[in-house]
Amino acid sequence: MAALGLASSLPLLLLVIAGAGGAGGARWRGEGTTRHLQSIILGRCAEHVALLHPEQGEKNCTAIWEAFKVVLDKDPCSVFPSDYDLFINLSRHSIPTDKSLFWENNHLLVTSYAENARRFVPVCSVLYGRMGDFLSWCRQENASGLDYQSCPTSEDCENNPVDSFWKRASMQYSRDSSGVIYVMLNGSEPTGAYPVKGFFADFEIPYFQKDKITRIEIWVMHEIGRPKVESCGEGSVKILEERLKEMGFQYSCINDHLPVKLLKCVDHSTHPDCALKSAAASIQREVPPLWSEYGGSLITPFLVALASAIQM
Amino acid sequence: MANHRFSSVSEEEKPCCGISRKAQICLCVLFVLLIVVGIAVSVGILMWRQPPKHKEWKGPGTTAHFYEILLGRCYTYTQVVRPELRHTDCQKIGKAFTSAFLSKDPCGSTEQDYRPLMELTTQTVPCDKTLFWSKSSELAHDYTWVQRDMYTLEDTLLGYMADGLKWCGDSGSSEMNYQSCPHWREDCSNNSVSVFWNTVSKRFAEDACGVVHVVLNGSISNTFDEKSTFGRVEVFNLHPEKVHTLKAWVMHNIESVPSDSCSSSSLNNLKQILKTKNIIFVCQNNYRPVRLLQCVKNPEHSSCR
Repeated sequence: MAALGLASSLPLLLLVIAGAGGAGGARWRGEGTTRHLQSIILGRCAEHVALLHPEQGEKNCTAIWEAFKVVLDKDPCSVFPSDYDLFINLSRHSIPTDKSLFWENNHLLVTSYAENARRFVPVCSVLYGRMGDFLSWCRQENASGLDYQSCPTSEDCENNPVDSFWKRASMQYSRDSSGVIYVMLNGSEPTGAYPVKGFFADFEIPYFQKDKITRIEIWVMHEIGRPKVESCGEGSVKILEERLKEMGFQYSCINDHLPVKLLKCVDHSTHPDCALKSAAASIQREVPPLWSEYGGSLITPFLVALASAIQM
Repeated sequence: MANHRFSSVSEEEKPCCGISRKAQICLCVLFVLLIVVGIAVSVGILMWRQPPKHKEWKGPGTTAHFYEILLGRCYTYTQVVRPELRHTDCQKIGKAFTSAFLSKDPCGSTEQDYRPLMELTTQTVPCDKTLFWSKSSELAHDYTWVQRDMYTLEDTLLGYMADGLKWCGDSGSSEMNYQSCPHWREDCSNNSVSVFWNTVSKRFAEDACGVVHVVLNGSISNTFDEKSTFGRVEVFNLHPEKVHTLKAWVMHNIESVPSDSCSSSSLNNLKQILKTKNIIFVCQNNYRPVRLLQCVKNPEHSSCR
């Protein structure tokens, strides 16, 4: 009886151990270091400087990498935003006025809408942001060498390499932004469109340069076919609006800014929320495959019936 | 030597400096030879020191930092964009890529040059997910950025790596030519870059299956251009046993007057070509999802409200 009990509880015990150590026994909650980090970062730097923005002048990508990699030798829970100071100083460049796009909870949408810096320049289109975008990195906890299994998130420890990177990048991005500032928020996010504690709230707003900013425009986007948790003037958006007002900024708020909504509709084109008045007109003009697919299957038996009726 | 001018008095040769006339001639010849050899050696050294000059072409040269960009893109693609390919050996691929054109005549490029590279990169696109494009690059790529399960050639590994880059070598050097590269029209069409795109486009078409799609530009006269890569290489290399239908999305500029390009002679030509291959042709003007993309730039237009 006792042996059976042990055998049946063993898988449960293993599950508990696995759970305690994270997925598959990993130390931290976040994704491990991206493989070939150096080649990716150097390649992205070269591409930005040589191909995409030669007008920004020469940047020494090797020196930039050397400045970045010092954090790869540090304890993964003791990396601070200031550790990236040299890296940022070597890679920063001016941002065109009226082109800054801040955001929370819609990374992919922002990247699509920004059109690789043709329409807007979000932080991931600036050289330092481009180099770190979608990557992960950290040293092992008790040894030199990178940890490819997992890296700490903010839930593991505050001063982790990736969060500190984005904090420092956000501060710089904010400082170098000017003109009209645009902010894209996700009004379908259950925890609120404006995270009161987040990169935008803590590392971007405080670094806005009052004398260089004309006004701030907020877009609260909602997911197609999903509930509208918050809109302009509501909930956390209201908190943001009040904060900006208090800081003395001129601001405005738009629900579902049309160009962005149209972009969201690309993969929801048949949803009623994406119906355009002109859609009805265009259907009539289209080559009618629908007719041959569906209409045909209804018409044929009808015609047969009609024909046989006429014959009789 | 002044003596010579006044030595015509006697017929006999008067020896100079104690050596015979014959010896003088030999010395002169030797002297001249030494000078010639000296010049030749100097020129030789100078030429050897100076790197052999690349040929001058009419097109822009190899992209600066070509190799770093190429390798970085390979790793980004295989580790971040499509992590299911994370075991790809990018070093090998990079080497195979450059071996295809380094130390070779950039106007004599062949498919064979790219064979080792092609053999290292066998990525197939799922059926019904291939998207071709012709004179509609921006729109097609904006579409696959949103519709991530569809692939243009530039969404496959090799296309992603090479997109927008220029490269060429020289048969007299092992270096890349950063000064200039052959221009397709003004120098030669069998250049390293064009042959690369022909080679990968051919395979992209050969590997396609099910329903294939193409974004075409209905606002130009040659909507279906038989001389374009799409016409010349991709349509030509579709396998009828694998591909049963080609759906064309013919997009017009938003501002232009609506017209039915699907019934134009240009597209009828495409229809006929596909008919001979037993591939069904379906044509749609201003396919809605792609039209919505155009609307992003023109949200106030009447057809976008």
